[in-house]
Amino acid sequence: MKPTAIKAASQAANNAAAKAATKAADPAIPQAIPHATIKPRLLALALLVLLLAAWEITVRQVGISALVLPAPSAVAKTLWTSLATGYLWPHIGATLAEMLLGLAIGGAAGLGIGVALAESALLDRVLKPYVIVSQVVPKLALAPLFVLWFGFGMAPTVVMTALICFFPLMENTLTALRQVDPNRLQLFRMLGASRTQTLLRLKLPAGLPGILAGLRVALVLALVGAVVGEFIGASRGLGAVIIAAQGMMDTPLMFAALTAIAVIGLLGYQATLLLERRLLRPYADQS
Amino acid sequence: MIADPSRPFLHIEGAVYTYPGRAPIVNGIDWRLQAGGFHCLVGRSGCGKTTLLKLAAGLLTPQSGRVVLQDGTPAAPGPQLGYVFQAPTLLEWQRVIDNVLLPVSLQRRPLPEDLERAHGLLAMLGLADHAQHYPRQLSGGQQSRVALARALILEPALLLLDEPFAALDAITRGELQDDLLRMCRLRNTTVLFVTHDISEAVYLGDRVAVMHQGRMLADLPVDLPAPRTQAMRHGAAFNAACAEVFEFMNGARP
Repeated sequence: MKPTAIKAASQAANNAAAKAATKAADPAIPQAIPHATIKPRLLALALLVLLLAAWEITVRQVGISALVLPAPSAVAKTLWTSLATGYLWPHIGATLAEMLLGLAIGGAAGLGIGVALAESALLDRVLKPYVIVSQVVPKLALAPLFVLWFGFGMAPTVVMTALICFFPLMENTLTALRQVDPNRLQLFRMLGASRTQTLLRLKLPAGLPGILAGLRVALVLALVGAVVGEFIGASRGLGAVIIAAQGMMDTPLMFAALTAIAVIGLLGYQATLLLERRLLRPYADQS
Repeated sequence: MIADPSRPFLHIEGAVYTYPGRAPIVNGIDWRLQAGGFHCLVGRSGCGKTTLLKLAAGLLTPQSGRVVLQDGTPAAPGPQLGYVFQAPTLLEWQRVIDNVLLPVSLQRRPLPEDLERAHGLLAMLGLADHAQHYPRQLSGGQQSRVALARALILEPALLLLDEPFAALDAITRGELQDDLLRMCRLRNTTVLFVTHDISEAVYLGDRVAVMHQGRMLADLPVDLPAPRTQAMRHGAAFNAACAEVFEFMNGARP
């Protein structure tokens, strides 16, 4: 069973991802003013402390075995030791590398194919069914096959992560490029712009909010892909640590790895938000 | 360019345009635009005004008839035309100055003199302080001004406007009308201005054409002194001219 705090955090991230994805479609919504966000942030922090305290007290009072559910203090201690001894760092590095590499490869491919399908009706008709079939097949189920093909280690995980990241970026790019205001397209035609100019100077910048929303969803999925890939086909990475901890009945270590995964997810998500805020500043009203 | 002075600047000859599966939206229109003239086109919504404007711009090709320039070549979209849309249609990710320079930067790298001209246009339109702002930071009227500056940056011989001020309040619209008149007089630009507002057409135009259900009912000269001033709007001559246009629009009522 997952601890409530991590579950809540991942759920919050999922909700925020969904919300942000719809929000990005309308760039007119202004960004929240920093002043107004301080209070809710304090409240969120207070809730975390409260949940951790409740968990700690419950474990101590009921006397649940650390094998089933370790207290937060035990998890924190394990996390600290595994970080201080340097045991966890290489695994964090491996997971991060797989996640970012998969995101870069899958994201670039998704962007490229999305642009190609948006630009060419023929390609769209020919390739779209294949793209959809490739996406409805659960990629996690392909992991054993990838191990067979690419061997044990980073490669199968990166391939799977890339496949997972491909779809949100392709879909968002395709939609964003198709939704460009027809008046602006006519303006570019009127000004004698070439097809490349229209793509680079109108369609892609106009579609940027949608494309970045796709990137944000892809990043969250990339972490899931990397960890699950490591469950199956790797000896390094946080996913592999969880499997190893399970074998050693070291539940606190499992929780320590889960905490590290949650932190990576949160930081990654914040990074995409920061990137969006920077890039989309001109798109917001009266910024 | 061999320009025959006896020929009109832009000649629409028997133009017919039909969207697939509908009645002709432009149904055999003959219209001559004189060089340097300010031509207004009024009509009810859906009478084919915008389609006629797109034919004049060469964005659409008539199914029969033709649209030719003074030198005998067919109208074609390009930087020699200025086109102002109903909405400002600015690129919100680019600064005001880059929006104004867009027609230039799509052709070549903007030169210092292009930049100077853009700043000059912005200054004339009262936007000198906003050159480095993004469009979303401007009011609706200011955005319309930027769109006008963008249409004028290449100093086009023909300026086409499709109800550009329809979404603005009366005072801002009046200011923009005066700005437009001033800029066009300065460059002797030929203008085709589409609107559904009779008083706007009479105030701006040397001639006002009335369109109804794909046909042109009249092309009336406006007998008002130039330059126009907002005070004229309340004079008898202005009201008489409006009444004349109104009669034609109203006479067409089924």
